[in-house]
Amino acid sequence: MKRKLIFADFFRNNGALMGSILIGLVAFWLIVLVILPQISMLDYSFRFNLPPAEQGGPKDVYTLSNYQHLIYGSDETHQSFNTIDLMVFLRTIVAAIMVTIFDIILCYPLAYFLGQARGMGMARLLVVLLIIPYWVNEILRAFALRIIFGDGGLINEALMLLHLTSEPIDFIRHDIALYAGLGYAYILLMLFPMYNVIESLDRNQIEAARDLGASWTRIHRRIVIPHAKPGIASGSTMVFMLSAGALATPQILGGPSSLWFTQLVYQWFNNSLNWQQGAAYAIVLLVATITIVMTIMKIFRVNMGDIGK
Amino acid sequence: MKSPIVSRIALGLYFIIFFGYLMGPLLVMSVSAFNSPSFPSASPWECFTFEWFSVLWHDRHIREGIYYSVIIGLGTVILSVSMGLAASIVLTQISARLRSVYYTMIIAPILIPGVVIGISTLVFWDRVGRFLGAGEGSLLDGLFHNGLFLTILGQSSFIASYAMLVFVARLQRFDPGLTEAALDLGASHTQAFRKILLPFLRPAIASASVLAFLASFENYNTTTFTIVDYKTLTTVLAQKVRLGINPSISALAFAIITLTILVALASEAYRRAAQRKEAVWQGKVARPAARLWPAWLRGNPAAILFVLLSFTIIVAFGVAQRYSPAQCKIAAREAKQAEIQRSIEELRARRQEEAPQAPAPTTDTAPAGSGAFGNVFAPGNLPGAPAPEPAPEPAPAPDAPANGAFGNVFAPGNLTTGGDN
Amino acid sequence: MSTGVAVDLENVWIKFGDFVAVREANVNIKGGDFFSFLGPSGCGKTTILRAISGFLDPSEGHVRIGGRDMAGIGPNKRPTALIFQNLALFPLMKIWENISFSMEVRGASAAERRKRADELLDMVALGGQGDKLPSELSGGQKQRVAIARALCANPDVLLLDEPLSALDLKLRQHMRTELREIQQRVGITFIYITHDQGEALTMSDNVAVMKAGVIDQIGSGKEIYDAPATPFVASFVGENNVFRGKIRSIDGTRATIETNRSGVLTAEITPAQRGKMAVGDAAMLFVRPEALTLAEGGTDTGNTISAKVVNEEFEGNTFSVFLEGDGAKPIKMSLPNTGQTRIAERGKPLTLHINPQTTVIMPAGELASD
Ligand SMILES: Nc1ncnc2c1ncn2[C@@H]1O[C@H](COP(=O)(O)OP(=O)(O)O)[C@@H](O)[C@H]1O
Ligand SMILES: [Mg+2]
Repeated sequence: MKRKLIFADFFRNNGALMGSILIGLVAFWLIVLVILPQISMLDYSFRFNLPPAEQGGPKDVYTLSNYQHLIYGSDETHQSFNTIDLMVFLRTIVAAIMVTIFDIILCYPLAYFLGQARGMGMARLLVVLLIIPYWVNEILRAFALRIIFGDGGLINEALMLLHLTSEPIDFIRHDIALYAGLGYAYILLMLFPMYNVIESLDRNQIEAARDLGASWTRIHRRIVIPHAKPGIASGSTMVFMLSAGALATPQILGGPSSLWFTQLVYQWFNNSLNWQQGAAYAIVLLVATITIVMTIMKIFRVNMGDIGK
Repeated sequence: MKSPIVSRIALGLYFIIFFGYLMGPLLVMSVSAFNSPSFPSASPWECFTFEWFSVLWHDRHIREGIYYSVIIGLGTVILSVSMGLAASIVLTQISARLRSVYYTMIIAPILIPGVVIGISTLVFWDRVGRFLGAGEGSLLDGLFHNGLFLTILGQSSFIASYAMLVFVARLQRFDPGLTEAALDLGASHTQAFRKILLPFLRPAIASASVLAFLASFENYNTTTFTIVDYKTLTTVLAQKVRLGINPSISALAFAIITLTILVALASEAYRRAAQRKEAVWQGKVARPAARLWPAWLRGNPAAILFVLLSFTIIVAFGVAQRYSPAQCKIAAREAKQAEIQRSIEELRARRQEEAPQAPAPTTDTAPAGSGAFGNVFAPGNLPGAPAPEPAPEPAPAPDAPANGAFGNVFAPGNLTTGGDN
Repeated sequence: MSTGVAVDLENVWIKFGDFVAVREANVNIKGGDFFSFLGPSGCGKTTILRAISGFLDPSEGHVRIGGRDMAGIGPNKRPTALIFQNLALFPLMKIWENISFSMEVRGASAAERRKRADELLDMVALGGQGDKLPSELSGGQKQRVAIARALCANPDVLLLDEPLSALDLKLRQHMRTELREIQQRVGITFIYITHDQGEALTMSDNVAVMKAGVIDQIGSGKEIYDAPATPFVASFVGENNVFRGKIRSIDGTRATIETNRSGVLTAEITPAQRGKMAVGDAAMLFVRPEALTLAEGGTDTGNTISAKVVNEEFEGNTFSVFLEGDGAKPIKMSLPNTGQTRIAERGKPLTLHINPQTTVIMPAGELASD
C-alpha cells in the first residue's frame, strides 16, 4: 500500500511518459547492467567448467570446487593448502591497504594546504596542475614509472651518481616499482575528496582553537581530521578498491615472479579459459574488498552517503 | 613546527616531493618522446627527434585502437549519461526513507573492481544468449558476444555512477518550482523536462559527457575482459608495454598530456571570461572598451597561455616537417666512435707507460681493459655516469651548426655524450 | 479576457503521512472575487494553493473549479495559473520568452508570442524590457513579469503565493494597489495568500483566516475586523486588547463578563458565537485600541476600566497610550492626533470607556502568538 503510494507520487510528479523513461533507465542500469550480471557471475562460480555440449546436462550441477581450488589447489584430498594463490591474495589485500595508508599520509598535508589557502590563485593553479596526471591513463602512468625505475632509468642513475649503490637496483623484481606505481595511479582520488572536505572547514574554527592555545598537532587531531573524516574515508575507499582491483599497473610494473590477485583472475579467464574458476576468484575478490571497506567504515563511523562527495 | 623557517623548509621539501612524484614520471616520459634511442629513456640524451611521433602516427594497431575506443566512448557517453541523469533525478524525488538505500545502490558500481564488472558482464550476456536460445552464429548470439556491445554495457554500468555524481551536484541548485511553474503554465511533463530542466543541466551534461568519455577512453580493467576480439587504445597499449616498447608510446603520452593541458587551460579561460562577463553585468567592473587586445584575453592568464601553447604546437608541427635528426645521429655515432677510439688510445698509452715496469701482467690487463669498455657500453652506465677514465669531452662545436635549430636549443653539449644502443 | 470562475473547496483534508496540514476546509470563492487566505507562516496556506493548482491531491474532499471536480486533472490541465512565492522565473529565458511560455508549449509561432508578450509587458508597465534576462531586472520588475507570465496563460483563476513578501515596504504598498487594479481590469478570480493582515484587508473582497491547518473564519475584511469569530482571529487580524474572565449574564446578543482584574464589562457577543455561550463559561473580551476612549470628566458611567499609564508613544497620526493590563501585555489605546499636547502622565491612573458596539465577547481560546 505504502509502496504503491510512492510510485503514484513519482508518476504524478513526472507524468506517465517521463516517469516511465526515468524508472526504465534506472531499472535497466541497476538490474540489467549491475545486479543480474553479478548474480550470474555468482551462479557461474558454483559450476563446473564443462564443454558446451554437456552444459545444462546431468553433469551441470552446483559445486564448491572452484572455491576449494583457491584454498587447497588441485589437491583432491584437501591435505595441503594452495599456498601460492593464497599468498597472492593476502599480498594483494595487504599491499592495497599499505598503498592506501601511504596515499593518506602523502595527501593530507597538501589537501590541508590547498583547502585552507582559499581564494589564492596559487591554489587554483595547483589544482589545475594536478588534473593533468589525472587524465593520463593508467597504462601510460605505469609506463612512465617503468621508464624511471628501469635498469638504466633515472633513479638508478641518480643513485649511482650519488654513490648510494654500485649496481643498478632491480626495482621491478623487488616490487618497489609496483607499489610506487599503485600509489601514484590513484593518489588524486585521495587528494580531491580530502581537499573538498577540508575546504568546507570554517577557518574560524582553526583560529578559535589556536586562540584557545591548542598546539598544531592538537588542532589537526581534534578539529581538522574529524572534519575531514568523510573525505578521507571516501578517498581511502576509492584508493583501496582500485588498488586491490588494479590490473594494468601490476601487469606492467609487477615483478616476473610475483602476481597480483587480479592477474590470477585474468589468467583463469584468458589463458586457461576456465570462466567458472575465474568467476569464483572474482567473487572472492569482490566479497573480500567490500567486507574490508564496510568494516573500516563501521569502525570510523562513516556512511555510504559520504562516498563520492 | 617550532620555528617558522624550519616548517617552511619542511613544507617546501614536501611540495617538491609531492609534485616530483606526481609530475616527474610524466616529465621524464615526455622527454623520452623526443630522444632518439629506441628504448624510451630520457637520460643518456642522444638526439632530439620527432620520429617517434611519426612512428606513432603510422602505427596501425594504435590507430585501430583509437578508432574503437572512440566508438565505445561515444556509446558509453550516450548510455551512461542518460542513466546517470535519470538516476540523479529519481534521487532528488525519492522519499527520505529509501534515499540512503537507493544511493548506496547507485554509487556501488564505482566500488566494484573493474575486473569483476568485466567478468560479470561477459558471463551474463553469454548466459542471456543461451537462455534466448540464440544459436551459434545467429544475430543475437553475435550481438551478445560482440566486444563493442559488451564493452559499452560493461563500462556504462559504473561510468553512469560518475555521471550521476555530476548531476546530483548540479541538481542541488535547481529550484523544482521552475518545473512546477512550467507545468502550471500548461507544459506537459516532457515539455517541462525539455525546456526547463534540460537547459539548466546542459553544463552538467557537457561535463558528465567529457568525464564519461575520458573514463571510457582510459578504461582497461573492464575492457580487457569484455572487448573479446576487438581492441581499444588501452588494450593495444597494454600489450605493447608488456611485450616491448619504444618511445612512440611516450609520444602518445606526450600528446595526451598536451591535449589535457590545452583543455584545462581552455576551460579555465572560459570560466574566467564567464566570471568577468557576470561582473560586468552586475556593474562591478566597467565594460571593457574595444582595444588592441580582444576583451576575452585581458586579465585572463589562462587564455593567454592557451593561445601561446596552441601557437607553440603549430610552430613545432611546422618545424617537425622540416627537421631531421639524421645529422645529429651521425654526429652522435661519430662522437661515440671517437670516444671509443680515444679510450683505446689512452689505454694503449698507459699500457706503454706501465709496460717497462711490469711486463708480466700484460695478459691480465687486456681483459681488465675490455672490462672497462664493457662498462662503457653497459646499459644505464652510458656517459654521464662516472666513466673509468675522466676523459675530456670532445668539443661539439664543429658538428653543432649542422644539427638544425632545435638540436642547438635542446641539447648542445649533450649531443656528444650519446650512446647508440 | 475570460471572466471569473468560482472555486470551491469541499471538505478538503490534506495529510503528509500522519501530519494533517489542512483540516476540513470548506470554502466557496465567487467568480471574479479577490479572495485571500491569511494566516501565520506554516499554517497550510501554500498547501491549499497547491491543491487548487493541482500539484497535490487532497487526501479527502473535492476541489471544484467552475463547478468541475478537479480530481485526477494535472496542473497543466487546470485553468489556473500560479505565481510562486519565489516567482520561479525561468533564468535562462528572456523576459518575453518567460511571459509567452504558455503559448510556446501550445505551439504558437514566435511572432505571435512576441506580440502577446509585448502587449502584456505594456500592461504591467515594462514596455521595451522583453529582451532582458530575469537576472537583469529589479525585484518589483520581476514581480510584474511573473504576473504577466501567469496572465498570458489566460487562466480563469490566478493564484498568488505571498507574491509581495520579497519586496521592500514602499514597493509592497505600491504593488498592492497595482495588483488590485489588474484584478479589476482582467476580471478573473484571484486567490491570494499572505501572512500580512494589512495586505489581506486592503486588497481582498473576502478573506479566510487560517490557523494550523484550520480555517477559523471567512468573510469580508470588515466582518473579520469588526466581528472576529475566534480569539485567534481577533488577535491575529489587527491589534486587540484582551480581557479574560467569566460570563456573568447574557442578555440577547450582549453579555456581561467578570474580568480577572478590570471589573465587570459588557459587550456584544461576536455574531459567530451567539447562542453558543452560557453563564459561567470562560470568556474573552476584545477591545480595539481605537475603541477605547477617555471617560468624560473621569466619571464612571459603567463599562469603564481604570489603569495606570505605563508609557506613551507618538506615531504621527496617532498617540498610543499603554496602560497596565491584566495579562503580560499592556492595554493599548490609540487616539487620533488632533493637536492635543499630552494625554497622560506616567504612573497616573486613567479611566477608559469601552464602546459596547465595537467590542466583542467570545468563548476563551488560543490567541495568535506574535
Ligand atoms: N511535502 C510536504 N511534506 C511534509 N510536510 C509538508 C509538506 N509541505 C508542507 N508541509 C508542512 O505543512 C505545513 C504547512 O505548510 P505550508 O502550506 O507551506 O505553510 P504556509 O502557510 O507557510 O504556506 C508545514 O508545517 C509544512 O512543514
Ligand atoms: Mg507558503
